Amino acid sequence: MSYEVMVGNKAAATACKLARVQVASAFPITPQTTITQYLSEMHANAEWDFDFVNVEGELSSQVVVQGASRIGARTFTCTSGPGLLYMHHPMQTTGSGRLPVVMAVVHRSYKGMQPDHSDLMSQEWTGWGHWYVEHAQEVLDSILMAYKVAEDPRIRIPIAVGYDGYVLSYTAEPVEIPDQALVDEWLPPNKPIPEVLPDKVNKATFGRGFGGEADPQVPWKVHHDAILKIEEVHQEVMDSFEKTFGRRYGNAMIEPYMMDDVDVAIIAMGTIAGTCKAAVEKMQKEGKKVGLIKLRSYIPFPVKDFQEWSKKLDAIAVVDRSICPGKGGPVYQRLRETLYDMKKRPLTLQFHAGLGGKEVRVRDFELIGDKTLKAVKSKKVEEPVTWV
Amino acid sequence: MEEMGITPGSACQGCGAALAARLAFKALGPNVIRHGVPCCPDTVTKTPQIGTVFEGGGALLTGTSRGLKAIGREDVLAVGFFGDGGTYDIGFQGLSAAAERNENILVITKDNEAYMNTGNQRSGATPKYATTSTNPVGPKSRGKEQPKKNIPFIFAAHYVPYVATASVAFPEDLIAKVNYAKTITGFRIIIIQSPCPVGWRFEPEKTIEIARAGVQAGIWPLFEIQNGHDFKLNYKPKELKPVTEYLKPQARFRHMTEAEIAEVQEDTTSKWQSLIQSDEMGKVLI
Repeated sequence: MSYEVMVGNKAAATACKLARVQVASAFPITPQTTITQYLSEMHANAEWDFDFVNVEGELSSQVVVQGASRIGARTFTCTSGPGLLYMHHPMQTTGSGRLPVVMAVVHRSYKGMQPDHSDLMSQEWTGWGHWYVEHAQEVLDSILMAYKVAEDPRIRIPIAVGYDGYVLSYTAEPVEIPDQALVDEWLPPNKPIPEVLPDKVNKATFGRGFGGEADPQVPWKVHHDAILKIEEVHQEVMDSFEKTFGRRYGNAMIEPYMMDDVDVAIIAMGTIAGTCKAAVEKMQKEGKKVGLIKLRSYIPFPVKDFQEWSKKLDAIAVVDRSICPGKGGPVYQRLRETLYDMKKRPLTLQFHAGLGGKEVRVRDFELIGDKTLKAVKSKKVEEPVTWV
Repeated sequence: MEEMGITPGSACQGCGAALAARLAFKALGPNVIRHGVPCCPDTVTKTPQIGTVFEGGGALLTGTSRGLKAIGREDVLAVGFFGDGGTYDIGFQGLSAAAERNENILVITKDNEAYMNTGNQRSGATPKYATTSTNPVGPKSRGKEQPKKNIPFIFAAHYVPYVATASVAFPEDLIAKVNYAKTITGFRIIIIQSPCPVGWRFEPEKTIEIARAGVQAGIWPLFEIQNGHDFKLNYKPKELKPVTEYLKPQARFRHMTEAEIAEVQEDTTSKWQSLIQSDEMGKVLI
């Protein structure tokens, strides 16, 4: 292995190389842009044998990888904010097609250039696995794990790995690069499944629904069940990743941090989970019983984990870095739904922070912690929604 | 040649597009993957088919072609069978980009001059004065106001290896063009005029007659453009037949006045003269 100080976008491109991606396609958009440049350089320098298609828009990049994945190639694409919205239509066909595409989503807000999670959150109906990661090392590691999960025959679902623009995409940190031989052994080069080749099939149609199934709900159920199955496979992959490379991120679905003997958990995602770690350390030194549960997998949602944790907690503060206008914070709502059937439910508080790229500081998390502790003390939530 | 068409598939009686598919895919043979985007008719061949979103035809062919290269199966040809909507309009951006990148793909466009899948709404391929379900004739409308987009020349202007037009009434010419396209690499597109009895409103047994009249009147000229430059007109009658022979049997043009027909005649003759000149020079000036 080796170390390199690299920005998050280079970590993503490096993961493509380690995974021996065969066909990549992308359209530049800030703050994803430099991934396209790194991949173009790696292609020009023949760093490994792959094809990089510089297309005329994000919709086409999604469809190019969809096509190449259908043929059995290992594929990669990446985008940000508005580019992801433009991909929305073919993302559904990639999802319904059960094609193991891996995509880096470098978060950018709907409203402005700065990061929040509104881009990926708005794609929750497209039938993909949705992961959120915190730092450049986790970007590299998660993309490698995403291939292993997505291509698992039990899964065959595309996975989006989201990380915050600028804070990660353009900020350099030391990253450990695993040895290629070790990666090859753990994630063998792709063996194509050429089910669509003319010498293999006849009269077969892929990627188009014409109806006519005995029960038209069946494809929806099968798709839904496959996504739920990601939880188990993701956890297996995390275990084998740790065994091979010596790193792990919680149980894959969540990463609890300083959660021993606490009354309150803060749920946060992405880079601000890192800020929250610092806040939790400070608060615990001051005797405040507040820990962090970093949420890594939004789809599928770690239902069992939160139900277990809820038994030990008096309150959960959910920090949503996105909002569905008129509906609310997606993680907060999902969590409350998850806890509904529990006999004992902790109090839940909704915090909106970091939307439109607003900076979230350690002291903001202290405020979140204090407010939640206060609710615990008074046994009620006076103000359920707070804009930090 | 093996028959690759499906009878009756999803086509109506007298469907020009089903005939275009039958001829083209018979010439292509079995070692192809057909790519479809929403179009009419859709179920036309027994080759494996991959579909995607309406606007994604060019990118899907790109992905398949690159994927075939990645797995070492470049012997298989990625073929698109799209309608005029998927070529001229909603699919144009992706196809234009695939042409500009000179992707190793073959596009067969069955041009039935309107969105027939949804019931005959106007497209960029609908000719002037044609009525469609979105160009009804009324006090404020004489049918479609604008001319048909010149898509073969637009693709030629991408400097791609091969652009051709073809007609279901000229099967030898159509098959020869498909056979030639098979022998070369890079971006190839063949646009086949495919009369639609339902949308154009004529009796189903007249499909070939109408297609033939279109070619003989110079309304749908048969030509090839190679590398955006080399031009060849494939059918050159000594004298063009009048456009009325093409227009009159189709109820979509029934409302046209003598003056409007004269305008179409003049426009057709003028464009034909340009094509004859290009043919004599052996090149187009793009």
